[in-house]
Amino acid sequence: MTGKNLEKAFLALVLMVVFGLPLILRSPTYLHILVLLYLYAYLTTSWNLVGGFAGVLPLGHAAFFGIGAYTSTVLYVQYGVSPWFGMVLGGVIASITGIMIGLPTFKMRGAYFALATIAFGEGMRVMVENIDHLGPLNINGPRGLQIPPLNVGLANLMFINKEPYYYIILVMLIAVLALTYVISRSRLGYYLNAGGEEPEAAMSLGVNVARCKLMAMAMSSFLTALAGSFYAQFSLFIHPKSVISLDLSFEIAFIALIGGRGSIVGPVLGALLLRPVSDFSRIYFGATLPGLHLIIFGTVLILVMIYLPRGLQQPLTRAYQRILNRLAQSPR
Amino acid sequence: MLFILEDTINGILMGSIYGLTALGLTLIFGVLKVINFAHGSLLMVGMYAAYWAVTLSGAHPYLTLILVIPVMYLFGYYLQDIVIKPIFKAEREVREPITVIIVTTGVWYVLDNLTLLIFGPHYRTIQENPLRGKMLEFGGMLISVPKLWGFFAAVLTAAAVYVFLQKTRMGRAIRATSLDREAASLMGIKQFKIYNIAFGIGTATAGIAAVTLIPFYNVFPTVGVLFDIKGFIIVVLGGLGSIGGAILGGMIIGVIESVGPQFMAATWTEGIVYGLFLLFLFVKPSGLFGVRYDW
Repeated sequence: MTGKNLEKAFLALVLMVVFGLPLILRSPTYLHILVLLYLYAYLTTSWNLVGGFAGVLPLGHAAFFGIGAYTSTVLYVQYGVSPWFGMVLGGVIASITGIMIGLPTFKMRGAYFALATIAFGEGMRVMVENIDHLGPLNINGPRGLQIPPLNVGLANLMFINKEPYYYIILVMLIAVLALTYVISRSRLGYYLNAGGEEPEAAMSLGVNVARCKLMAMAMSSFLTALAGSFYAQFSLFIHPKSVISLDLSFEIAFIALIGGRGSIVGPVLGALLLRPVSDFSRIYFGATLPGLHLIIFGTVLILVMIYLPRGLQQPLTRAYQRILNRLAQSPR
Repeated sequence: MLFILEDTINGILMGSIYGLTALGLTLIFGVLKVINFAHGSLLMVGMYAAYWAVTLSGAHPYLTLILVIPVMYLFGYYLQDIVIKPIFKAEREVREPITVIIVTTGVWYVLDNLTLLIFGPHYRTIQENPLRGKMLEFGGMLISVPKLWGFFAAVLTAAAVYVFLQKTRMGRAIRATSLDREAASLMGIKQFKIYNIAFGIGTATAGIAAVTLIPFYNVFPTVGVLFDIKGFIIVVLGGLGSIGGAILGGMIIGVIESVGPQFMAATWTEGIVYGLFLLFLFVKPSGLFGVRYDW
């Protein structure tokens, strides 16, 4: 077998495993953990479009997540509009917001951009916490919104079992990964990369760096909002501190950074390696050693930044390539 | 009208303490060109140090400065030397390395949660506190005594740091590194030693802020986060790198927070602060007293 065929076979195997997993794994607890794992992988991959390819450090993505969650929930609870529609509308609103945030902030460098996005995210949370009614829309301030689990079914994106959620988020994750793959090999991807690494050089070659970054931001915020709507339908309860929290913004960014910003597999690997750490340390040590997973997070983050600036994907993809080559060369 | 004046005065006092907490942030940015996301956590460490010093020795809270300042200086010095320096060495040519922001956030996570692990989530206040609830009556207005002392501490510390930077040999070396680190290195100034010292001084000022806070503020593992975000806002408002700007920026935030609730729900003042911050970022990112800076 050639290397290329081996790679395809490997990919097919992975797909078979992830699609078949709910058939073997019947426990709702594990499925719940897996749904959240895919959700995080999806969020970090969406974040990566701006944070990785465009080379800036956005730390306010929870705001877009919150826009998605609130748009679909308010429309569904108050007007009975299908969450699928709310999802897309939330994405569009988030996208417009993302562009409005990006226009003034992409001129700034490094730290200022990070600070502006933090202020934007936190400002959004404060606003939602303080507003009970936005015109005719009831967003219920700090108490949050509950989605009554009636009219279960695909049309309302609401299910009794975890399996449908599992497959929906899995398909979303695969779609966003495919999109990332396409972008990374497109003109936009190369422009973004050039603009992120050497903005002056890219601009001097005629690349409109700011426009490329804005496009990346629009896509990233759109995709993040879709995940927000999905999360609202999955947990059936949202409130400002859960969907627009600073912690969520930071977690998205740092999982992606630990995995490896700017690469396709990096953010997914980060979620794959770190989510279980946080879930299981909370399950087993939550009472005795509170905050253990965040200590691990912080330490891994520091070590990765010092020793593996391209993230954990760097040694892992290298090992994967080596195994692939060894297999391709071995006589049979 | 009197209550508005009273609120304004108390706002200025509390605001100057906010400014003191942000002083180290602006100093470290001025020299290293890095926003230290762990600054609030350093303040938290200082508060725990002061809290335990008071609780174990029974001394007057302000006396703990003798212990807290050197401890915090060394803590900051070695934090920069061991954790942050390697990044600078790896990204030597970058003017404003994003990676350092990420590392300092890692430090924040580790410090806050280690504290949670060791001391638990309890809110602690010092017992046998000679300053608790002490008020000064002044023309019909009540002014908090520990906040008044905090105001003096803030102004004195800012003045001391300013004089140190302007008048001493070491201060000149720090300013030279801040202006142009390559040129400073060529003049024989050891860049990383200066970074260590600047980080140490910045952390020590957080220690002073911590000591002024403990007589009237609770100590808990995530106390730093409150001051962290506030600190970012203050330093951008006052101008990143400006010592006087930090104190003034702090006072602005303090006045908004204490006068605002007279006119609106108290929770909205936070929104106003973020709005003002974003406005400054978009319109005048160099802040009130910021040095001109290449974006």
